[in-house]
Amino acid sequence: MADVKAAAKAKGPKLPVILIANDLLDGDVVFFGAQGWTRDPRAAKVAFDAETAAFMEAEGRAGFVANIVVDPYLVPVEIDAAGFPVASHYREAMRQKGPSIHPDMGKQADYPLGA
Amino acid sequence: MYRYDEFDERFVRERVAQFRHQVERRLDGSLSDDEFKPLRLKNGLYLQLHAYMLRVAIPYGTLNARQLRQLAHIATRFDKGYAHFTTRQNLQYNWPKLKDVPEILDLLADVEMHCIQTSGNCIRNVTSDQFAGVAKDEVEDPRPTGELIRQWSSLHPEFAWLPRKFKIAVTGAEHDRAAIKVHDIGLRVLRHAETGEVGYEVIVGGGLGRTPMIGKVIRDFLPKGELLAYLEAVMRVYNAEGRRDNKYKARVKILVHETGPEEFIRRVEAEYAQLNGPTINAPEDEVERIAAYFAPPPYEALPEDSAILDAARRADPALDRFVEQNGFAHKQPGYVALTVSLKPIGGVPGDMSDAQMLAFADIAERWSFDELRVTHSQNLVLPHVRQDDVPAVFAALQAAGLATANAGLVTDIIACPGLDYCALATARSIPIAQGIARTFADEARQREIGPLPIKISGCINACGHHHVGAIGILGLEKAGVENYQITVGGDATENAALGERLGPGIDAEDVPGAIEAIVDVYLKERQSGEVFIETVRRAGLEPFKAGFQAFIASDEGARTLAAEPAQ
Repeated sequence: MADVKAAAKAKGPKLPVILIANDLLDGDVVFFGAQGWTRDPRAAKVAFDAETAAFMEAEGRAGFVANIVVDPYLVPVEIDAAGFPVASHYREAMRQKGPSIHPDMGKQADYPLGA
Repeated sequence: MYRYDEFDERFVRERVAQFRHQVERRLDGSLSDDEFKPLRLKNGLYLQLHAYMLRVAIPYGTLNARQLRQLAHIATRFDKGYAHFTTRQNLQYNWPKLKDVPEILDLLADVEMHCIQTSGNCIRNVTSDQFAGVAKDEVEDPRPTGELIRQWSSLHPEFAWLPRKFKIAVTGAEHDRAAIKVHDIGLRVLRHAETGEVGYEVIVGGGLGRTPMIGKVIRDFLPKGELLAYLEAVMRVYNAEGRRDNKYKARVKILVHETGPEEFIRRVEAEYAQLNGPTINAPEDEVERIAAYFAPPPYEALPEDSAILDAARRADPALDRFVEQNGFAHKQPGYVALTVSLKPIGGVPGDMSDAQMLAFADIAERWSFDELRVTHSQNLVLPHVRQDDVPAVFAALQAAGLATANAGLVTDIIACPGLDYCALATARSIPIAQGIARTFADEARQREIGPLPIKISGCINACGHHHVGAIGILGLEKAGVENYQITVGGDATENAALGERLGPGIDAEDVPGAIEAIVDVYLKERQSGEVFIETVRRAGLEPFKAGFQAFIASDEGARTLAAEPAQ
């Protein structure tokens, strides 16, 4: 993962992006949102420009230093028909949803579409 | 079963207290993430895709009912009501919270369990034959050796920071059910051909991952009493000379390969000659003390066959089928070992719910001398069941949803957690296993195909042992899509072999069809009595490659047609 992050930093991930991390205390996937860190994937703040992406990345580092989150990094997304960001890569899309074999677990269960 | 003595108890409790303090210091910021990470890993705690994951050691795969009940309790209280048995006979929780882990470790310590050294660059949990103490082809129960190694390797000060992780497997039987040739060290208990003395064959440098290797025999016969000093010599050579500059070349298999087995042996023997064996080897009375814990249970004197079971099998085809497929001959007359499959059609290989654990604990307690085993193929075993009791056991297993009669068949698939959970994975494994199992769900068809170990890994690290699957499946990423490479001819037994690729990688939805095509080649090519792997060995790879390629060609043709609707 370190290699992926280094590469992303050097080139800058493809915009738009969201900021994803794990909550230190309980391990949950969290997203940087308008009101700070949120567990709701739909509440993730989307950066459409490099400046906002850089701001979010700095927030990620601050969250890490403050022992709120671990492993923060920017994730390229596309905006779906409902206006929500969906990760372009299937791995990150899995983190937004939860295990594909358990629709009853993870984000897809906690934040069902249409709820 | 082994019971903790005062030293073991104190050691595990101290370790829990240390970890509790480490978590507190992490949360208050006095430990950085970089400082904390190796500490949590040494206690089996990973951070995965969706949550933390805690790996619990099950030494040599042996558990009792009280332990399984506690594991169920933890699953209920701190996880989502289930847990996952792994290819190293361990158990993983997928959703624990960091703040709860110290309490979980305390609950484990209450039943003489821990997570120590289930991760990190140290000697990991020692694995063994699930039929230890049961199999007729056994020279000696391998578990006392496993326990001795567990005690020797736990927090061994010299080997706490090895170049890379280190896995040891032990078998006491002629037929290898512990995959010893693909471990860093594999030990086989044997009798000296001339003297009859009991000792070990020592195999070093096996492993899977991105550079799969079959281990090399470095000692044909090591006297039993010399085990720990000799292991120490091997570990010293590895610790000093194993590569620390490149984690992909850091396992002992690379050292053995690059040094050459002869030179490696020379270095180990030179190190061994310098060691003061008596100060390292366990005293004989300690070895005997440990062995006593693994004494056979108080069997009844029974006739070889059970008239009760025979009659019940005639009356109930499902019971008959279960015993035929999942029964394993026991060395004690009148008893049988039963494999309990954690591979129901469409289920998650190796997963067990808390309710099933509780039910199974009752079954093991009542009908198997309070003992159960975990297999490296992610199933469980009731090691000592009276044949007379099998009908009642079968009924209880059915009631718990644990009576799938597929041990060793095409639907008894090993699959790593893959991208559904794992942060390292490049593709999903579990849905592939589920797809194949559904395709071959018909019992008569499975039986017609016979023994066929399929093993699936969701990345090159090969936790799903795909290299040694008769059919192996490796999930990778290709151009932003999950892609699966198929190998054939792998074998994890005493005839260890690495599978070879049949052709280009394929999409997830094509995997079940490709497996059917491969199985069709086998059914066409097989000669009387041949199981799948024997046909591959005799007929070679070519017919399987041809069948696979033909499937790809026809599949692509079908897709082109689907994409171009008829005018």
